[in-house]
Amino acid sequence: MATVSFRNVNKVYPDGFHAVHDLNLEVKEGEFLVLVGPSGCGKSTTLRMLAGLEEISSGEIAIEDRVVNAIEPGDRDIAMVFQNYALYPHMSVRENLAFGLKMRRTPKQEIAERTAEVASTLGIESLLDRRPRELSGGQRQRVALGRAIVRQPKVFLFDEPLSNLDAKLRVQMRAEIASLHHRLKTTMVYVTHDQVEAMTLGERIVIMNHGRIQQAAAPLELYRRPANRFVAGFIGSPPMNFLRGTLKDSMFQSEGMSIQLANVSNEALSHEGNVWLGFRAEDLVLNSDGPSLPEVELEVVEQMGHESIGYFTLLGERHSIRLPATSEVNPGSRIVPRLRPAGWHLFADDEEGCRFARENETAQV
Amino acid sequence: MVSEPKRITFLRHAVLLLFVAISVYPALNVLSISLRPGDQLKTTDLSIIPDNWTFDSYIALFTEQPFLRWLANSLLVSFAVTVTGVALAAMGGYALSRFRFVGRQALMLSILTTQMFPATMLLLPLYILVAKLNLMNTFLGLLVFYVSTALPFCVWQMKGFYDTISPSLEEAARVDGCSRMVAFRRVILPLAAPGLVITALFSFMTAWSEYIVAAQVLQDRDMFTLPLGVKSFQASMSTQWGLYAAAAILVSVPVVIVFIVLSKYLVSGMTVGAVKE
Amino acid sequence: MLDATRELPANLYRRKPAWRLLAIIGLLITLSGCSKQDDRHVIQLWHQMVVNERLFLNELVTEYEKQHPEIDVRLVFKDTEELRSSFQAAALAGVGPAIVYGPSDVLGAYHTMGIIADMTPWLDENARAKFKPGGLTYLPAKDGPQRDDSQNRDLVQVSDRFGNHLALVYNRKFVETPPQTVEELIEIGRRNTLDEDGNGRNERYGLVWNYEEPYFAVPFITGSGGWLFANEENTEPDLDTPQMVAALQLIDDLQRVHGIVPRGCDYETADSLFKSGNAAMIINGDWSWGDYLALERIDAAIAPLPIVTETGQPMGPMISPKGYSLNKNATPAQRDAAMQLITYLTSESSQRRALHSLRILPSRTALYDDPLLTQDPTLKASREQFEQGHLMPSGSEMRAVWDAMRPPYQAVLGGAISAKDAAAAMQANAEQAISLLQRDDQEIGGSWLWAALASATTLGLLFWQRRGLATLLPDMRRQPLAYLLVGPAIVLIFLTVVFPFFYNLLLSFSNMSLTHFQDWGFAGSQNYIDVLGDGQFYAVLLKTIIWTIVNVVFHVGIGILLAVALNGPIRGKAIYRVLLILPWAVPAYITALTWRSMFHLEYGAVNLLGNQLFGIPPVNWLGEATNAFIACIIANVWLGFPFMMVIALGGLQGIPQDMYEAARIDRASRWQQFRHITLPLLKPVLAPAATLGAIWTFNNLNVVWLVSNGGAPSNKTHILVSYVYKEVFNLYRYGYGAALSMIVFVILLAFCLVFLHRAKATENVYG
Ligand SMILES: Nc1ncnc2c1ncn2[C@@H]1O[C@H](COP(=O)(O)OP(=O)(O)OP(=O)(O)O)[C@@H](O)[C@H]1O
Ligand SMILES: [Mg+2]
Repeated sequence: MATVSFRNVNKVYPDGFHAVHDLNLEVKEGEFLVLVGPSGCGKSTTLRMLAGLEEISSGEIAIEDRVVNAIEPGDRDIAMVFQNYALYPHMSVRENLAFGLKMRRTPKQEIAERTAEVASTLGIESLLDRRPRELSGGQRQRVALGRAIVRQPKVFLFDEPLSNLDAKLRVQMRAEIASLHHRLKTTMVYVTHDQVEAMTLGERIVIMNHGRIQQAAAPLELYRRPANRFVAGFIGSPPMNFLRGTLKDSMFQSEGMSIQLANVSNEALSHEGNVWLGFRAEDLVLNSDGPSLPEVELEVVEQMGHESIGYFTLLGERHSIRLPATSEVNPGSRIVPRLRPAGWHLFADDEEGCRFARENETAQV
Repeated sequence: MVSEPKRITFLRHAVLLLFVAISVYPALNVLSISLRPGDQLKTTDLSIIPDNWTFDSYIALFTEQPFLRWLANSLLVSFAVTVTGVALAAMGGYALSRFRFVGRQALMLSILTTQMFPATMLLLPLYILVAKLNLMNTFLGLLVFYVSTALPFCVWQMKGFYDTISPSLEEAARVDGCSRMVAFRRVILPLAAPGLVITALFSFMTAWSEYIVAAQVLQDRDMFTLPLGVKSFQASMSTQWGLYAAAAILVSVPVVIVFIVLSKYLVSGMTVGAVKE
Repeated sequence: MLDATRELPANLYRRKPAWRLLAIIGLLITLSGCSKQDDRHVIQLWHQMVVNERLFLNELVTEYEKQHPEIDVRLVFKDTEELRSSFQAAALAGVGPAIVYGPSDVLGAYHTMGIIADMTPWLDENARAKFKPGGLTYLPAKDGPQRDDSQNRDLVQVSDRFGNHLALVYNRKFVETPPQTVEELIEIGRRNTLDEDGNGRNERYGLVWNYEEPYFAVPFITGSGGWLFANEENTEPDLDTPQMVAALQLIDDLQRVHGIVPRGCDYETADSLFKSGNAAMIINGDWSWGDYLALERIDAAIAPLPIVTETGQPMGPMISPKGYSLNKNATPAQRDAAMQLITYLTSESSQRRALHSLRILPSRTALYDDPLLTQDPTLKASREQFEQGHLMPSGSEMRAVWDAMRPPYQAVLGGAISAKDAAAAMQANAEQAISLLQRDDQEIGGSWLWAALASATTLGLLFWQRRGLATLLPDMRRQPLAYLLVGPAIVLIFLTVVFPFFYNLLLSFSNMSLTHFQDWGFAGSQNYIDVLGDGQFYAVLLKTIIWTIVNVVFHVGIGILLAVALNGPIRGKAIYRVLLILPWAVPAYITALTWRSMFHLEYGAVNLLGNQLFGIPPVNWLGEATNAFIACIIANVWLGFPFMMVIALGGLQGIPQDMYEAARIDRASRWQQFRHITLPLLKPVLAPAATLGAIWTFNNLNVVWLVSNGGAPSNKTHILVSYVYKEVFNLYRYGYGAALSMIVFVILLAFCLVFLHRAKATENVYG
């Protein structure tokens, strides 16, 4: 178990591409930290710098107060699970599991014991003498996981370990990884681009975009109080709805439509220029007395069983609304969606798109 | 492996048999010459075993000619070239495949450029070089030239093979506690076995069949390599065809043996299932 | 068994590295320590003697070494042409054997190049008088102080025999008395040209000989009353004569009108036919008679060539003294020792022994009293023929004349041109070749200008790349491993290439040629102008490109086809694999020759099989330019496909099986699977091989040379390298050759840049 800290870490690839900008991050002891963000945002780069597979251009990374910038991956006491498994094809499953221990000159007896133990926890005892090519995708992933576990490292690193599995298997493995963390209580850094994975696994989630941290917080915090428009749009399914307009005395106006908001902070009110109004599908309701949106026509209704999601177009943009399963609406129905109080967010219409907190917001949670 | 439709299996055999016939027949002709008495290159009939066939040429090779000596020389040189060539190409190709260093592209191209010069024009300067470096009549001189002839291809070929091996394998190994070199040796090299085989085969063949440079470097009949020895049976308008052909047949035997030994690794198919793309 | 195979590779690399290092060091020691060292005085002697002569020489030398224990004579056999080019190269490098042995026709060139020494100081008047005329070869002194010697000439060769003369060899089973006249020759020939089983192919021919080589035409020319040169010094060619036309006509008639000579009769065909009793008579030189006489199957005898009735002249062949010359690079001590050896080897007693054991004609007058010369029928005939012979000119012009004669001569035999046109073409060619040979391009000033230009370009390039250079050192510090790994290979690759490359670059701007062999100097861009201004260059270039493309396409295509066929669940894979690499395993220098015989018009397997199996009429593969070129391509495709097959086989191993499974689920047809999975994934492995394959094929001299026998017919099958080779080694145009190879280099470089760029072959599939 160990802490990990990134201090002003930058990565500039030899071709001049600046993949990670001034990254500062502390991973607490035993924490399950998830790095998430769209493809190409620098998650893998960050993780690989931590693993020692990629050089650090500037700044430093420390594992348990030891700066590891110049330390070989093998000496960092980490283990990593790769997206493509990266099992050694010329070795049997047993040899794959034992390889890292052998490299560390662990006694034979101990290697055998630990391999057997890990195999039994992962349920791969019967596969020990097979070669990777004789395994199914899920089995390969288990072996890859086992190869990391057997080493009992200080930090586990995962780079999209589940993205090659089918949906069902993914859910199953996700649960297994979660229980693994629960049992081992080892620090884990997990990279994914799948926000569901991030939300379900992470104790803390770091959202990255364009090589910068957008927000690092617990899953619910991210959901409820996204730091900026990017985070707000990234987290949550369906994604948050946005309307662009101006703010006049707590009144949001956009192309002839106006919505009265309550508890708008002064900061927001004093903001010059356009703002974005964001609200999630579940923040729209049909029968209540919040500020209303114009009447719209439902175009699509997705039935989920316990609820359904309706889609409509407003000001040329697609928006979503969460409807109770009991509501009798069909495509073509005309509805008047209303905003729940405090069910909205305001963002500055600039590059950063920072969120303006509502008045009294801290009181919630 | 899944069994295939009969039609496909038949097609495979048909193609292979056709080409086996094409590749074997001219080679059998050489055998035929070697069995013919009286140093005749050509005949008027098509039979492979001549009516009055004889092993005289083969016997003469071993009894009257220093054939075994040549064989030993050739084996020594070829083995040395193979070991050196494979070792250097395995390392060089790895660097070219995995590292992005300054001038890498230019280097790869310039390795190719060394092959672009008509070899016949290089003989004159080569002779001067060998003389000036005091490598006349040494196997070391031969070794240097053969290795440098074989290396461009070998380096490129190895690079090509490493390129097909996912880098995450060695990354996994490094995380598992290997240094770069150990990861290379224990994980990547075994997986590049087909490439190593091709490189070895090629280096071996370069040294095994070369005679133009050898003729410049080696001046002692006792130091001749096999091709030089074999070529000494040939002279314009007075070739000893029997010996020439018999020797050529014997020269190809070690190649076939080397190939049989190596081809296990050539078709081992180990990278399969290594990674999921 | 399968599992065992899988186990092995992983273990292979588990040996102790120290063990391997030791083995390598041991090997290196063995390699470098292998040359024999003792303190005896070494005399190297290069010769081109045929086997039995070699053995005899060995005997003589062994005895000599016994008498002179301080001397160690090293005999090295090299084939005639190789001997010549090696000796020239060695002499230029300042080394080489003390003594070279060979016929006299190369002496002119050696002497002009200044690589052989005058031997007069070692042979006094008295000693010289003991040789027959022609037994000692003199050439006009090249330079140096005028000697008191009235004739001012250099002694360049001391011979030990006369030889190389052609005569008629006949099989007494078919011919009782040899023909005295050409009419009788034709008559006997006709009687012996038989198709006994009536299958349209003759089982026996009346007469055979190396029909394609002008040297063998000489007796016909002299018999018609002609000769090759107009003046006594044999420097002015005289080929466009009525006698030449008559001779060509006669030769052509023997085949076309009288039908007694088979078509496509090169040396080996003639030799084989006579040896197997399928020919009644053969015209061949003294080097071959021993073999014929020794063969039991035929009852061979030698007779002088017949008389041409119209002129009454005997068909007189060329005769060449063969003997020893002294390397100019030999030290004075070596010269003394070498001359002592030469004196011994050409002494009366040595020659008498040679006469008795080899039955060759001696060069000393005294030996012509030997009774054996009248008793032995072979020697008797040989001597008779010798007396009708003509001494082979030793000037460098001789070579130019052979070269000039060959294409029109072969064209006449192929029926492409008339004898009259051929004679005219020969003369024109010869004049041109001699003027090229003797061209005396003067060194020009301004080399400093070019040197400055070259340095400026280099500096400019360095300046242009200064960024890269500046980052080199930091990068080396950053990832030293990369440089350490690639370093040794790079050093070795360039070690042997850098010097030759720049040497050639220099040569290409020089006037190095026969006349300026050692004292060559800067001649500007003349060579490049010559190459690029020559219309033939473009034709040959085009042919080379076709040659390369066709070959590589077939190599790679067949290679992939076979690899894919092998890479499936079938029986007998291992056996197929081994049999399919045979074309690679059997040395090309012999298989190329078997291909040549397989393409023979009448007896070649290609035509016979084509005819018997498919009823295709025989194709004149080697006698017709396009066909000969196709024949070369076929032979080379055969030689090259196994290599590509092996590479493709290796490449296929890296393709995961589940990709095919996925593709099958997507309903991809086999062709689509191949097109979209196999090919793209083979690329990283095949692209380097194909690129290099193209380069090698472009520069592949051997196959074209061997299959087409040096560009036959009529120099129509050349690709650029064989064209360079011919110019350089026949006409000594080193500067020209160097320029041509620089151009080849640039062409290939451009090709690679474009190809690699488009194929992105240097790039990794993993980015
Ligand atoms: N070797 C390299 N040279 C130059 N740029 C690179 C290199 N490797 C990655 N990049 C760039 O750096 C950026 C971040 O890459 P990274 O692999 O960290 O993305 P990621 O967040 O893991 O994305 P994904 O979810 O697709 O895996 C990308 O824009 C990528 O193009
Ligand atoms: Mg990634």
